[in-house]
Amino acid sequence: MSLWVDKFRPRTLDELHYHEGLSARLKSLAASGDFPHMLFYGPSGAGKKTRISCTLKQLFGNGVEKLKIDQRVFISPSKRKLEINIVQSNFHIEITPSEAGNYDRVVIQELLKEIAQTQQVDLNAKQRFKVVIINEADSLSRDAQAALRRTMEKYMSNMRIILCANSTSRLIAPIKSRCLLMRVAAPSPEEMQTVLEHVAKKLRFDLPPEASQQIVADSGGNMRKALLVFEALKMQSPDLSGSLKIAKPDWETYCHKVADLIVQEQTPARVMEVRSKFYELLSHCIPPTVILKTVAERVVERVDENLKADIMHWAAFYECRMRIGNKKIYHLEAWVVKVMSLYKVTKHFVYDFDMSEFE
Amino acid sequence: MPAAKKLRTAKLDLSSERPTKKLRVYDTDDGRLWVDRYEPKTEEDLAVHKRKVEDVRRWLLEAFDGGPSAKLQKYRRILALTGPAGTAKTTTLRVLARELGFDILEWRNSMSDRGSSRGTREEFEALFDKFQAFLTRASTCQNVFSSNTSGPSSSQARTTQSSQSSAQTQTPSDSSKRHLILLEDLPNLLHLPTQARFHAALQSLCTPTASSVPTPPIVVIISDSGLRGEQNDDDNWEKGRQWGKKEVLDVRNVLGPEFNPIAPTLMTKALQALLATHFSSSSSHAKGKPPTRDILDIVVESSNGDIRSAVMALQFACIAALPSGSKSKSKSAGTKKQSQSKIKAEGGGNARAVLEAVTRREQSLVLFHLMGKVLYNKRKNDPPATHLSAKEAAKERDLDALLVDPPPLPDWLHLHERRASRVCIETLASDSPIDSSLLGLYIHQNYTQFCNDVDECDGVCDGLSWMDWVGGHLPAHTPYAFPVATLSTLHALPSPVARRGQKVCKPSWFEVRTAEMEAWNGVGDVGAWLGREEASGGLGVSASAGWSHTTIATELGGWLRAVASGSAAGTTVPQPPRSHRLFSHLPWSSGIKGGDVLGEDDEGGGEDGLRDEDEERDVRVLGGVKEEDLDDGAGWWAEADDIEEAE
Repeated sequence: MSLWVDKFRPRTLDELHYHEGLSARLKSLAASGDFPHMLFYGPSGAGKKTRISCTLKQLFGNGVEKLKIDQRVFISPSKRKLEINIVQSNFHIEITPSEAGNYDRVVIQELLKEIAQTQQVDLNAKQRFKVVIINEADSLSRDAQAALRRTMEKYMSNMRIILCANSTSRLIAPIKSRCLLMRVAAPSPEEMQTVLEHVAKKLRFDLPPEASQQIVADSGGNMRKALLVFEALKMQSPDLSGSLKIAKPDWETYCHKVADLIVQEQTPARVMEVRSKFYELLSHCIPPTVILKTVAERVVERVDENLKADIMHWAAFYECRMRIGNKKIYHLEAWVVKVMSLYKVTKHFVYDFDMSEFE
Repeated sequence: MPAAKKLRTAKLDLSSERPTKKLRVYDTDDGRLWVDRYEPKTEEDLAVHKRKVEDVRRWLLEAFDGGPSAKLQKYRRILALTGPAGTAKTTTLRVLARELGFDILEWRNSMSDRGSSRGTREEFEALFDKFQAFLTRASTCQNVFSSNTSGPSSSQARTTQSSQSSAQTQTPSDSSKRHLILLEDLPNLLHLPTQARFHAALQSLCTPTASSVPTPPIVVIISDSGLRGEQNDDDNWEKGRQWGKKEVLDVRNVLGPEFNPIAPTLMTKALQALLATHFSSSSSHAKGKPPTRDILDIVVESSNGDIRSAVMALQFACIAALPSGSKSKSKSAGTKKQSQSKIKAEGGGNARAVLEAVTRREQSLVLFHLMGKVLYNKRKNDPPATHLSAKEAAKERDLDALLVDPPPLPDWLHLHERRASRVCIETLASDSPIDSSLLGLYIHQNYTQFCNDVDECDGVCDGLSWMDWVGGHLPAHTPYAFPVATLSTLHALPSPVARRGQKVCKPSWFEVRTAEMEAWNGVGDVGAWLGREEASGGLGVSASAGWSHTTIATELGGWLRAVASGSAAGTTVPQPPRSHRLFSHLPWSSGIKGGDVLGEDDEGGGEDGLRDEDEERDVRVLGGVKEEDLDDGAGWWAEADDIEEAE
């Protein structure tokens, strides 16, 4: 058994359900023989990786599906061992350098040099180059990006790079200019419903339209999430009828409750309580940026109009600091305290105003 | 350090020639430090707690003779003596060596070898080879050292000449066959291969050999290095702090007492004895006068249980007193009392000046008091706290008189108007036992208790955030981090801070960090499982096998729960690894998990507070801020716990 997401993932460009224009372009690119470096970007769950793998298949044929997973050990300058999982076929190699944290530069340099300096030996290969897929390219450090930029030029004859990122904003300009940018937008609700129905048809059961609408509404344009929810729902209530309760991930409800805590009371003791909640979230591997975003969105829903902009401003402000700093909790908490003190002022203001009315 | 070691060796050789213990006669002022000159020779002289000495002695006896049942011998192979610097670890061993009559074979990394090495790696390995050779030789060729065929000096000469290694032997005091190996100057354990070889070497010595002759026991002495907070690299935090202990103790059969800082009572006694010896034994060259009891007290207090530094300070105090005390040049122990009173009469000013000179450098701040100073935010003209004695209140008034009021701020800045602070940031920074990042964690853990409302919290937390942010740009040690953390905290805290029986807690950040690491391992497990499932699903491996870890952590939770509940209902679904619960399961609980309360003796940073209780602790009295009234601590926290749950 595998997850539906994996099981029904389109394998070729023709099987893709949406963004037909993009698929056509990728197809013609793969056929042209001159394939550029590429950068796929778009929100998560939009189908970037799926499109990359389809493109690879178009380029190299079925050979790319014969994969092996290796664990490679790199030695950081400080003699620390870094273990990185590498997925590769004869024609391509896929890495997630951000797993190496601060040492991603080492991984990028070593690996790319190694690949770039070996020619394609398979005479039957359709292309003379190998492809390197770099996941989560937007979390590459500046160093690693700079290292990448040089390599991209130098080894163009042997190697093409496909970057996969959520947004281009964190990539340095030289990299962006060396790549063909491919935006993979989130699917529209209709497109998502088509996909869900397609899956239901493959599995030979009927998907009530209400259920699919509900799933789509809940997923917020994230196809992967929609399919995961779909599968979970099917497991819980096999007929998918009646009132469906889409279970949010624990951490999301948790974040919402944290937001409620912030709005309810603004005291130092409450700050302490919120902190312990943040600690819980962090120790469950929820990325601090996601925490901040989720909590902030929820808080904004619950406060007055005039505060919304400020709250988001501070969220952005502290997220910026958080990305550079080491101790995420400081920034999360600083934002909470800021929001509390802002919110408290307006609450008092309203209160005073009411009192003066009565007098 | 090597110089000091050399000195010590030289002296020991000398003293072994002169077996008289109690009646030492120092006829010349040989320029040695007091630390070396008056090193304890018997157990009575030791300022170490009796029980500790007894522990070590018992261990040694068991190691040599096997204890009462004669079977313990093979379990007593390596003894690790740990503890802060200057707690008489080595001295205890030497005293016991004298008492029990065994030899100490000590390994020393010789500086000349290392200095000459240009191609570091090869040379270094060679150094380690020497170390290994030393170990083997020391453990097997015992009769070379202990059979008294040749004179002690020649045996020593032979060792050094035969093998360029710097193994040195103490001259045997009698012809007993017992000796032990002392490792104090360890090879570079931060170098991983060296560390592995070091362990292997120790292991091989520990494993019981078939031969009837047991290998000599090994004693490893490790001084706790200073505490450090976490810097950019998380790994550094663990490694840098106490690498020595962890790396060395990673060998089995290791056990050993941890030496505590020396209790003030014991230290005072020892120092008095030292002074008595000094001023009585050598009237011809003991210049100066014995310091007063006040000075002694201050020296003891400021040493923080480090007897080596205390003796140094004492020697310095006597030297510094030299010009003023010209009339009482030669003095016997009998007239000491009179002279003391004379000095007192002469005027406290002189003594104070000396004190200042001696203690300023040594005065270090206990973490507990550092946090007190920062978090209580005392400012000029604060009303004295109720628990303060009249003397302390007067001291505070004196301090206030010295403080200069800041110039008045313009109207639009009146928000930032504060009275002059009684806290001197520069002193804090130089005396702080912890670095800025650890200080940040401590402030962060505790500041909320000291704030009255969230606006004050805002200032503190924003300062911390700023510090962390700026620290992210700059290399590890920024000179700004400490002042920023303290100043922003002091500026933001209310003044005066309301006393609610706050308890300073240790940061829970480290626990969270560990939990997070475990959870990420769980994510990794699930990721690997997904890959396997997919491969076994008969689809071939999909080209996009990569589920990123973040995606697994944030998006797979619901599915995993459904799988869990599905399997509970009886359907057969393959189970993901159990470790997924570490990140997918996040129950909402109300209330706050409190951290461990920071005690007065704690040095900060995680598990260090877990020292065993000892009588010594009760005796220790440390200066500085008084412990705040802890008894009525229940009130404020009870309130916090009562906060009603959301929803």
